[in-house]
Amino acid sequence: MIRFIVYMIWRETRGAWRHFMYFVVCIAVGVGALVSVSLFAAHVDRAVTKEARGLLGGDIEIRASRSLSVKALAVLSEVSARGVEITHVSELVAMAARTEGSAEPGLSTQIVELKAVEAAYPFYGKLALDPPQPLDRLLHPTGESCGKTPCLGAVVQEGLLYKMRLSIGDRIKIGTATFMLTGVVRMEPDRMANAFSLGPRVFVSQEGLREADLIKPGSRVRERYLLKLLPDAAFEPLRGELRGRLSGDSVRVTGYRDAQPQLKQFLEQLSRYLGLIGLTALFIGGLGVAMSVHAFVQEKMKTIAILKTLGAGSATIMQVYVGQALGLGLLGTLVGMASGVLLQRILPPLVTDVFASEILVQLGVSLDLSRVSIIPLVKGGLLGLLATLLFTLWPLLGVRTVNPAAVFRREVDGRGRTAITPRWWRRYGFSDGLKVATAAGLLVGFAGLSIWQAGSWKIGILFLGGVLIAALMLIVCARGLISGVAYLPRLRSLSMRYAVGNVGRPGGQTIGIIVAIGLSMTLIVTVSLVEQALLRQVGETRPVDAPTFFFIDIQPDQRESFAQLIFQQAGGARPELTPLVRSRLRSVNGNLVTTEEEHDLDARRDEDKDERRRQWYLSREYVLTYLDRLPKGNEITKGQWWESDREHEKPLLSIEEEAAKAMGLELGSTVEFDIQGATVTAEVSSVRKVDWGNFSTNFYMILSPGALEGAPLSYVGTIHVPPALEATIQQAVVAAFPNVSAIHVGDVLENFGRVLDRLSLAIRTVALFCLIAGGLVLAAALAATRYRRLYESVIFKALGATRELIAGTFAAEYAVVGAVAGIVAVALSSALSWLILTYVFELSWMLQPSVLLSGLLITVLLTLAVGCLSTFQMLSQRPLAILRHE
Amino acid sequence: MIEIGHLTMRLSAGGRTVTILDDITLKIPSKQKVAIVGPSGSGKSTLLGLMAGLDRPSSGSILVDGIDITRLGERPLARYRRSMVGYVFQSFHLIPTLTALENVLVPLELSGVATPDSRARELLGAVGLGDRLHHYPVQLSGGEQQRVAVARAFACRPPILLADEPTGNLDSATGQEVMNLLLSLHRDYGTTLVLVTHDRTVASSMQRLVALRDGRVESDELIDGSPSVFSSVL
Repeated sequence: MIRFIVYMIWRETRGAWRHFMYFVVCIAVGVGALVSVSLFAAHVDRAVTKEARGLLGGDIEIRASRSLSVKALAVLSEVSARGVEITHVSELVAMAARTEGSAEPGLSTQIVELKAVEAAYPFYGKLALDPPQPLDRLLHPTGESCGKTPCLGAVVQEGLLYKMRLSIGDRIKIGTATFMLTGVVRMEPDRMANAFSLGPRVFVSQEGLREADLIKPGSRVRERYLLKLLPDAAFEPLRGELRGRLSGDSVRVTGYRDAQPQLKQFLEQLSRYLGLIGLTALFIGGLGVAMSVHAFVQEKMKTIAILKTLGAGSATIMQVYVGQALGLGLLGTLVGMASGVLLQRILPPLVTDVFASEILVQLGVSLDLSRVSIIPLVKGGLLGLLATLLFTLWPLLGVRTVNPAAVFRREVDGRGRTAITPRWWRRYGFSDGLKVATAAGLLVGFAGLSIWQAGSWKIGILFLGGVLIAALMLIVCARGLISGVAYLPRLRSLSMRYAVGNVGRPGGQTIGIIVAIGLSMTLIVTVSLVEQALLRQVGETRPVDAPTFFFIDIQPDQRESFAQLIFQQAGGARPELTPLVRSRLRSVNGNLVTTEEEHDLDARRDEDKDERRRQWYLSREYVLTYLDRLPKGNEITKGQWWESDREHEKPLLSIEEEAAKAMGLELGSTVEFDIQGATVTAEVSSVRKVDWGNFSTNFYMILSPGALEGAPLSYVGTIHVPPALEATIQQAVVAAFPNVSAIHVGDVLENFGRVLDRLSLAIRTVALFCLIAGGLVLAAALAATRYRRLYESVIFKALGATRELIAGTFAAEYAVVGAVAGIVAVALSSALSWLILTYVFELSWMLQPSVLLSGLLITVLLTLAVGCLSTFQMLSQRPLAILRHE
Repeated sequence: MIEIGHLTMRLSAGGRTVTILDDITLKIPSKQKVAIVGPSGSGKSTLLGLMAGLDRPSSGSILVDGIDITRLGERPLARYRRSMVGYVFQSFHLIPTLTALENVLVPLELSGVATPDSRARELLGAVGLGDRLHHYPVQLSGGEQQRVAVARAFACRPPILLADEPTGNLDSATGQEVMNLLLSLHRDYGTTLVLVTHDRTVASSMQRLVALRDGRVESDELIDGSPSVFSSVL
């Protein structure tokens, strides 16, 4: 029997290459999409893991949002005495200004991301500089260029040179110090992404930073101490010790192994979603496979009947065709794996765009195959084979019910006489144990594939549920269309009449085509809709009076003069000044809060979402303010806002709704803040709902006036000015207050829009695989009915129809099918985007006619193009040649 | 021995139920040559198909050597068709994607015969197609295709040969060759031969004539006749 099965597989395949080409390509496209994404992700992941120390800049990092206390510094110097190397890095935003006298046009002031380092920086990773000299030497220039005395050097990102029209050797002013530009930084190990930066990087020495005199009490600064251990020393004990001894300083101590969660998480998420899109492509391709197998079984009815007559059991015949399908699936999978290896090379430019930096070069990502490529390749291969099996099993079950006598009878007398028509539940296979079991198995199988690819039960099931619901709706609509055309009034146009007839004809593949094309378009249109909605949110919904600038780090003693300056420069406008101070939670309702690192990352992964959310709220840094009036865009949902002119016995706290919910805070709860070493205890007196998108300064926690007396406050100033005044005001503020940084809201939003655009491009590129798969399914379906179409077109010709009429009929049919797929797709994507916007982004949904219309148009055009390409050959066939063979 | 008892077959066509066979009862002893005759639509081919286990009747029984094949499950029925019956169709029904040799190989491989290749070659040689082994059905004439079909039907030496108008699509000379083949198999191997025919000459070479009309047995009588070809090889 084995011999028979093996030989039959070969015999049945060798002559049917044309038929199976689509089968193979459909699987190959899906597997190609999956493998390219997961290979790329694996290669990046390996590089991230390998570069872990470089990404952190050391073995251990101590991070604080203010200067360390004397006690903490003593701990560090004691650790350093044990042979641990320590280097100090300070990061903050600042304003760079051109020094007077430079005549070149260009921005005279520019916000920059300043990084002050010591000679040992970086311990690990590659810092690429131009000229290729040690950073420390570039930051301490000597010689003639400097004049007689040693001066301060700055190494900057090229973007700064372009924006301010500067060149190496020029000088810039930052704070109160002047720096000479001595080099360009091309790569920085512990800063991978430029995407969300506020401005170009500027490296200076720690002496330079001190000279600039930027850091004041309450200034926004990130102090980092990087530690390099002796080669064979374990880092965990030291990490633990430091966490314990520095706990009073509200610092975060991280080891290099748990250091890259953000980058890693982002890449993981991105590759997970791109992978799911790849899986969608595989599912759509699988639909093509199912349709092609179904058509094959129809075509093979006679052969199956003969085999049964000769004594082959259904199981044997099933084994032949399942074996054949798996063989073809294997071929498709192998082709897909090979193309995945090649296609992963189109992803780097997309990722580079998302991060706006040469992140892959920085990480040293190699896309060549290596040991880490094995798992993605094997996984892609298994997914391809499993999908083949799942999609072919159902149509192949039809083999069992082939009744040889019925097949031969039909052939002899040409009349479709069948056994007595079964009841509906029999017709749909509900009485067939094997069919029901197979259906259950398929569902489990698809769920398994989705969960495996998603790497999460919930996301996998959600994904499959979404795909199934979308497919179901497409099926219902397609069926509706098919039964609807029967009731259409007689159309006048001959080709339209035939086209509509073709759509509703039994044995046509209308449903499959609509599902495949509809699914792929749903995905693409949804991505576009969400992107457009997000862009609209940051762009168009910006209120007219939204601030132009956020001026940060204004010192208490600069308040008056700052306001005055703005008043003069902006024609009488007054800046809104809000006091701020950075803090962490010390205790909630008397329970001490554990810091984030004590609550280990791995442990957090196992916890449910609510607990992770709670931890996130408990361990984050809060920017506190005190206000006497409820700010704009805030609404009290519980309790009452304090009366502005009353003295309060103890500080009162108004907390944001979500934060209160996550931490289980009620009215009357007590919260203790650690404000740079000092503690303030406040009682929750109100809960607020905040409109975070209102472009003002928004706070999770607001304290009653007087609560922050004596705290190291700084102020943030917001001001709305006409565009013509922007440059003047920025220059004036930088000149008068060197320590104040001006964040231009428009620039930030533009940056955000750019990132969003790139991200959406990356997603759409992978979604293109789905579209290709959809097109292939259409081509496969048309190939399956090719002979029937050919025969009909020949008969039409024989009866005197012109080529144009036949072409018109086909085109009209494709257009109708495309239009239905398109209409359902845009409707589904509207619903889907509404869900995403409402529940994920918490934004309002709005009809976007232009996106929907172009989605519909693209669907119709795609269907028309693929349909015409696969059928135009037929039009030139000579009738007699075909009819003679019939 | 084939015993058919109260066999009825109803089919639906265009929403209407048609009775194809109506309470047929018939006994065919082993090694008998039987012709089933009757006008078109009288139910001849359906009766033959039911005897081959290609379909299930609406009611009634078909006992072959005491076993009711209408009650057999999917697997035993396949085994029955494999080992007990050879079937020859009017329109040959060779598998178009398989060569002549491969078509004959199919039943041998299904039965797990040890050297199917040499036996298939022998059989095709015996029907005079030794030089056309690797031709596909479309490359063979009607007579050649039917000879391949006979070789295929007899490949596993089944005790029962059923032929549905085996000469219906052939000219008279070729038809005679095919008939000679079938008759020699009956004679040399004692095969029970049941054939459906319109052809009086063909019918007259059988031992018994069963006439059907409107799904019922109209007459059932004995006659005589037989020539040979196979004996030299098989």
